[in-house]
Amino acid sequence: MMEEDKIKSENPLKVNRRHFFSQLSVGIGSLALGSLLIPDLFKNSAGQIAQPTLGIPHFAPKAKRVIYLFQAGAPSQFETFDYKPILRERMGQDLPESIRKGQRLTNMTANQDKFPLMPPKVGFQQHGESRTWISDFFPHIAKIADEITVVRSMHTEAINHDPAITFFQTGSQISGRPSMGSWLSYGLGSENKNLPSFVVLTSRGKGNSQGLYSKLWSSGFLDSKHQGVLLRSGKDPVLYLNDPEGISRSDKRHLLDQVSSLNKLHHVETGDDEIESRIAQYEMAYRMQMSVPDVMDVSKEPESIIKLYGEDCQVPGTYAANALQARRLAENGVRFIQLYHQGWDQHGNLHDEMEGQAKDVDQASAALVMDLKQRGMLEDTLVIWGGEFGRGNYCQGKFDPNNYGRDHHPRAFSIWMAGGGIKPGLNYGQTDEFGYNVVENPVHINDFHATLMHTLGLDHEQLTYKYQGRRFRLTDVAGNVIKDLLA
Amino acid sequence: MVMNDSAPRDTFVLNRGEYDQPTDTVYAGTPASIYDFPDGLHKNRLGLAKWVTDTKNPLTARVFVNRIWGMVFGRGLVETAEDFGVQGSLPTHPELLDWLAVDFMEHDWDIKYLLRKIMLSATYQQSSELTPELKIADSENKLLARAPRFRMSGEMIRDYILASSGLLNREIGGPSVKPYQPAGLWEETNAGGNRGTLTKYIPDEGDKLYRRSLYTFWKRTLPPASMTIFDAPTRDFCEVRRQKTNTPLQALALQNDVQVLEAARVLSQQIVAEKDSPKDMVNDVFKSILVRSPSIDELELLESYYSNAWEEFNQNKENAEKLIAQGSYLQNESDPVKTAALMLTAQVIYNLDETITKE
Repeated sequence: MMEEDKIKSENPLKVNRRHFFSQLSVGIGSLALGSLLIPDLFKNSAGQIAQPTLGIPHFAPKAKRVIYLFQAGAPSQFETFDYKPILRERMGQDLPESIRKGQRLTNMTANQDKFPLMPPKVGFQQHGESRTWISDFFPHIAKIADEITVVRSMHTEAINHDPAITFFQTGSQISGRPSMGSWLSYGLGSENKNLPSFVVLTSRGKGNSQGLYSKLWSSGFLDSKHQGVLLRSGKDPVLYLNDPEGISRSDKRHLLDQVSSLNKLHHVETGDDEIESRIAQYEMAYRMQMSVPDVMDVSKEPESIIKLYGEDCQVPGTYAANALQARRLAENGVRFIQLYHQGWDQHGNLHDEMEGQAKDVDQASAALVMDLKQRGMLEDTLVIWGGEFGRGNYCQGKFDPNNYGRDHHPRAFSIWMAGGGIKPGLNYGQTDEFGYNVVENPVHINDFHATLMHTLGLDHEQLTYKYQGRRFRLTDVAGNVIKDLLA
Repeated sequence: MVMNDSAPRDTFVLNRGEYDQPTDTVYAGTPASIYDFPDGLHKNRLGLAKWVTDTKNPLTARVFVNRIWGMVFGRGLVETAEDFGVQGSLPTHPELLDWLAVDFMEHDWDIKYLLRKIMLSATYQQSSELTPELKIADSENKLLARAPRFRMSGEMIRDYILASSGLLNREIGGPSVKPYQPAGLWEETNAGGNRGTLTKYIPDEGDKLYRRSLYTFWKRTLPPASMTIFDAPTRDFCEVRRQKTNTPLQALALQNDVQVLEAARVLSQQIVAEKDSPKDMVNDVFKSILVRSPSIDELELLESYYSNAWEEFNQNKENAEKLIAQGSYLQNESDPVKTAALMLTAQVIYNLDETITKE
């Protein structure tokens, strides 16, 4: 190696053929072999934190990674975490104008002349020492009431799904900004070399769904290496991951060695270092072909884990399977793991649909938190559960207690968080007695982003990217860290 | 889309942006700082078009010429091709930009003329070799002392692979087509149930699979993966300058996308049918894809690679049969072992940096 370095330093571009072949066989071949024999070779050890390329972290991080359990379609706060007995007392009566204050509505209810209050059909109990109100749809989450913090005072500006979910994911209602996961990848870099730092997993319940869009995990104006990689259930978890039939692993190795040899020759000719980078990317692709199926393969999980997440976790493509997958990805150093569960848009048939949606996610969401805890990972993994806005406290359409629905509502809704530097067992923020407006400790989406970044050691005002003449941030020109939420 | 100018609607400044709180009425106009709107023009779309293309407008020709330059050289004379304002960068060669812009207008805004002018220049026809001296003096090549070297766009890469294998369908115009795409992508993210034509991706058949990427059907909420992996914009918003990243997903796409595998297979079948010796076959594949003859070293490496692959497939003919089954394009009678070995050789070449790079 020393001789090689000498030749290189004398003339970095005139590497002779013999020399480069020897470098090749020792270099790339042994690298690949090494990573095959020792799968942990590229995995991060505890002490390794991303190099502070942007002066980062700005302060000591509590969380190293995020698992975001996004409930797409917006679950109603009135059937999940915001218990309002007055809705039963005043069932069917009109929502007082003093509460609604002429608020802008979607065109689904804007023409209603009555807004009859509608209580949840599902029961509510208080749980844990925190006495957290949780509906009976979520018996498993109820059991971890003291591990989670419920925020009941979330609010947003968007009233329709696309802008609302885009706002949550990118800090702007208009598409084109980088997703949160991309910002974190940009700010914190990768914790591993075999997997992308930002991955996305999707599942769909039987409830009324809204589509998902790849812009939600786009890197916007940031370098596209920060974009989320959609991991799919089935045999091709990453697009184009599998070799065609008829090619063995050793065939593939030979093919790549050949590509590398020829690329190296061309590198010597052109002097363009981009070619070296391409060779490195081909090696990473080769490693991903091994590491991704390995991470996705839950067959080696013990019976106790299967029981914890529920039988569904063995069915690829379910929320439970994705939740278990999320833990495995977190263990393997993925920075931001974004789950979406579709089907929470209950404009009608709310009780039955929500019951089904809750069944999909309740056990596995709680299991994930407990599983992380028993592995000692909850303290540096931030778990978030929630949708893009709330639902109205009145009935959409004709009043019918047996089959009711709720329209979109941006002014107040509930989410929960756990682990990663967030105070456990806290009930944060309050809505008025009708659950319509926030009356205490409001948390805007910008505040939520600022707080999330804070747990990861990032100052939301300092992590910027200059684009089209100005510095952009995830929180743009707003956002305050909610200190009371921090452990 | 049908647009109608006959009855322009009134437009207002909205109080704090609230759509139900209109205040002052506003009227159409153009920024006076660029170039005053001539009195004789009507303030409608025709007037705007005339204002934009007036030879006195200082921006239009410069911006356009710069974009063409950027496509050809990988970077515009003004690097921020989307922004000629105060936040944009200054031109590296202002006189050249001005001259090209005027020349372009004097030749009746003829794009072919402009392209020819640029491409026949001594600057464009230089070698892209990066000597140690140049690397020190001008690593970013702002001074253009060498030809550019940059990765082609996703569309260009796909078209290039189709063209070099002889598969490209050069038909012009007509409705969009649906080439190969990994199964299930649309189904996994749509809203469930039957939502019309965008619910399920059903690839086209026959000739439509080989049309230029320009004609590829584009679902904006989930654009074609083989394009976005190579930094094609999502088309949610305007993106003048594309990124040119280098990622493992690109490596996987070039290795395993059926569009590439099929091209390698079809090209190999043609050559196996025509040539006998491994040397000739390898030489032909190389020339078809890279449009140059291989060096002695390259030929030696590829020939021995081909022979090894041939040995391997000869031991396991079933694998050869499986491999050459890629794609729906008509199979020919060529020897499967030879075809499979040559197909892998073609795959090696399709995966070279040089192949997907303009140099």
